[in-house]
Amino acid sequence: MDPLSGLIHGFSVALTPMNLLFGFLGAVIGTIVGILPGLGPLGTMALLLSLTYGFDPTAGMILFAGIYFGAMYGGSTTSILLNIPGEAASVITVMEGYQMARRGRAGAALAVAAVGSFLAGTVSLIGLSFLAPTLAAAALKFGPPEYLAVALVGLVIMSRLTGGNLMRALMMIALGLALGTVGMETVAGYMRYTFRQPELAQGIDFLPVAMGLFGISEVLVTAEEAIGKVQLQKVRFRELWPTATEWRRSFWPMVRGSFIGFFVGLVPGPSPVISTMVSYSAERKLDRRGEFGKGAIEGVAGPEAANNASVGAAYVPLMALGIPFTPAMAVVMAVLLIHGINPGPLLMTEKPDLFWGVIASMYIGNFMLLVFNLPLVGVFANIIRTPLYVLMPVVLVLCLVGVYSVNNAMLDIWLMIAFGLLGYFLRRLKYDLAPLVLALVLGPMMERSFREAMMISRGDLTVFVSRPISATILAVGALVLIAPLAVAVAKLLFGRKSGRTPAQA
Amino acid sequence: MRIGATVFAGAILAVGAAYEYMGAGMPRGTLAYPGPGFFPTMIGVFLIATALGCLLQDLFSREEPAEPVASAVPGAEPHAAEERQVMKTVQLVALLVAYGLVVKPLGFPLAICGFVAVAIRIFGYRKWLPTAALAIAIAAVSYVSFVLWLKVPLPLGLLEPLLG
Repeated sequence: MDPLSGLIHGFSVALTPMNLLFGFLGAVIGTIVGILPGLGPLGTMALLLSLTYGFDPTAGMILFAGIYFGAMYGGSTTSILLNIPGEAASVITVMEGYQMARRGRAGAALAVAAVGSFLAGTVSLIGLSFLAPTLAAAALKFGPPEYLAVALVGLVIMSRLTGGNLMRALMMIALGLALGTVGMETVAGYMRYTFRQPELAQGIDFLPVAMGLFGISEVLVTAEEAIGKVQLQKVRFRELWPTATEWRRSFWPMVRGSFIGFFVGLVPGPSPVISTMVSYSAERKLDRRGEFGKGAIEGVAGPEAANNASVGAAYVPLMALGIPFTPAMAVVMAVLLIHGINPGPLLMTEKPDLFWGVIASMYIGNFMLLVFNLPLVGVFANIIRTPLYVLMPVVLVLCLVGVYSVNNAMLDIWLMIAFGLLGYFLRRLKYDLAPLVLALVLGPMMERSFREAMMISRGDLTVFVSRPISATILAVGALVLIAPLAVAVAKLLFGRKSGRTPAQA
Repeated sequence: MRIGATVFAGAILAVGAAYEYMGAGMPRGTLAYPGPGFFPTMIGVFLIATALGCLLQDLFSREEPAEPVASAVPGAEPHAAEERQVMKTVQLVALLVAYGLVVKPLGFPLAICGFVAVAIRIFGYRKWLPTAALAIAIAAVSYVSFVLWLKVPLPLGLLEPLLG
């Protein structure tokens, strides 16, 4: 099925009343959690994961796509109106958005953010529609060495991009891989690290880990860092229309943000956040008015477009290769795994309803978000007044009941509490949770690929570099690891030549 | 030296050593036919090496580590460690553990009711009547949505004769 006829088929799936309802629900929930500080799209998806067990997998995927896109829209609302970013990808929007609000241009900032998000969402969905099938077709040639190479390089790139300490990111990867080996090993049925507990034979399920790390630990951290009372700025409907100059100034930043977001979104790591940073610094460099920091509309249009574009792009590796590059995509993948569907290059041909239905529903969801986000911005912004003493217990209840509902096992509740506590300590100690989660998800696949590659090549390790695709992928990974080192050495040499110490350079 | 981080890295190092020790006891096979212990022993070495790296880094470095880009809780004003209400976290964890212990004998509707009531108080709301009403409402909604709608066999405990 070519992308165009695939999309037409997808729309016939997405436009059924049930799927439309799930798209709408996802968009509303996403906007709400985007607005609410302390609860991001990832935490929400993790705690709703167990609910999708009762739905059709396509409906579950549509719901989650709506949440992810919706959160990007919602996050900008409180950034602009309240100086409070609703979620991490909207932190950058605060800088210019809130300054615009203080100058009485909040309406224009909100409109530009919404239109930019819509434009970027559309660009990234077109990219997804055409790139995912092409990549999936190419991936049919992938064997175990290529899969191992993609997963390995994905983890390496992620460890470099999280912005935290490299050694810590590597330790989180090692811990995630170790946790992935718990349970019955698939080839010989050997029990590993189960401590004679039959419930552990299935391995450590992703669900309690994700709910603990992203649901429970978020509540624990939020409980300590009480959020102060907020003063809402009122925005009238007629103020939502930017002036002709504002539109003109926003257009190119939106276009640039869309492309930046899409390409950054293809790279493993916290891409929505990074894409906003890249877009903001690009716009700042191009600024000739010297308005940045005082409410430049370009600083809202670019980053808000970029974070939405990165969401569509993040689906490319998952839909085409079956490999999630971000924790959010790992949760999305879990929706499929719960229903016994293995995402990968064959997903498009074996489950065309799901593959194209989800992509088409993203187009619809994106449009829905634009249509109801703008007029209802005042209503949505009021959600931030929800008291924490109502919101947080509800989140905890959803976690406690939800985690039990998939396997009906008390072990999952205990695992979730334990990982909640681990997540709390990791956040407090400034560790990044993403490498741990991705390594846990990718670990079993990496082991299987490694063992199969070794069996095929009869123990010849050069199989990873003698095949052109895996060699290229590994070379990219090596470059990513070595490049910063090379830059550091170059700086050292350069510093010496010019008679400066490295610290001064 | 950063005490908390050092203790954590040390704990992971100990976990890594135990993991490697247990992995060494599994059949390793050969490179051509790797056994169940092959991959774990490789990971064990990786875990020990990185944990050791973190431990040394935390022992000897005085600078605060860089904050990962996506980890901060947006909107929350980051307080200094001594200003944080750490007691709330301790209470919440104790509450979660207590729920795990009583959910089977008491049943989930009663356990959720109690859990929500206490959680609301931990988050600083003190009026009993609205608290009780909210707790009962949340328990009822979760019963209807999970047990009646999604058919999850949640333990009903004491209420089994009534609801079962």
